Amino acid sequence: MIFVTIGSLLPFDRLVRVMDDLAPSFPQEQFFAQIAEGKYEPRNMPFARMLSRREFAEKIDQAKLIVAHAGMGSVISAMQQKKPIVILPRKYEQGEHTTDHQMATARWLHAKPGVYVAMEDADLRTTIDAVLAAPSAAAIPPTAPSEFIDKLRAYISDL
Amino acid sequence: MEAPETKPRLLIVASGGGHWVQMGRLRPAFEGFDTAYVSVHQDYADELPGRRYYTVADMTRFNFQKIFVLAPQLIRILLIERPKVVITTGAAPGLVAIALAKILLGAKTIWIDSIANCERMSSSGMQARRFADQWLTQWPELSGADGPKYWGAVL
Repeated sequence: MIFVTIGSLLPFDRLVRVMDDLAPSFPQEQFFAQIAEGKYEPRNMPFARMLSRREFAEKIDQAKLIVAHAGMGSVISAMQQKKPIVILPRKYEQGEHTTDHQMATARWLHAKPGVYVAMEDADLRTTIDAVLAAPSAAAIPPTAPSEFIDKLRAYISDL
Repeated sequence: MEAPETKPRLLIVASGGGHWVQMGRLRPAFEGFDTAYVSVHQDYADELPGRRYYTVADMTRFNFQKIFVLAPQLIRILLIERPKVVITTGAAPGLVAIALAKILLGAKTIWIDSIANCERMSSSGMQARRFADQWLTQWPELSGADGPKYWGAVL
């Protein structure tokens, strides 16, 4: 199963539409999409507006690949559950987010194992094909590095 | 009380999606303290069995008028919980929470800007400076003597 998610806050019809158009060209794969408040409703894949946290975790667990916006909720969830993720950043100029920070996010996440970046719609197909051919995922622990945890804890404890 | 009186009581505030997931990675920092959580989706409580959890209005810059729902909700929570420390990973509800916590309770406040903001602080992060005792970025490049501090990152 390929799980398409655009997060929970803002619509991202461009990604939903591209993936809906691509879905029939992967006859061997099942798809599922979380589309939030989007206007475009997929015709070629089942979808939900908003999954609960538990359902969201289950979908990631069932998926062999996540295709998402460049949102940290999607990216960190995929990494923690050791699944490869392909991200397409939202663009400010197309009204897809409040700033262009997802473009910057996509640029630094590019270097992370298991995170694959498609900067444009046209790159999605080749990126997905490449990951399906040779899937590899990050393996990160469930919590932040101890350096950060310890500093926060020390500050709180000293109050 | 789950923790001894001497330990400060914490209130953790995070919006949905990435803000919540980043806070989840910091949870070991709050272990052993009497901690309550605030976010914007009811089902997030499922991740925190046995913890006090409150849902508030999901205010963003697109629906600023929700502050008239959010602020009374947060005031009520702050008066029930009376936290000594309020910690947030953003966004707008976290900003309002630390502002109210500072004004009403004189609480200590920590702002942790999202790791997504690698080129500049978020807009709510910029406003948080006035209300945050610890004003943190997750990017060392953005930290400085006149800017936010860097204590580490969730990844």
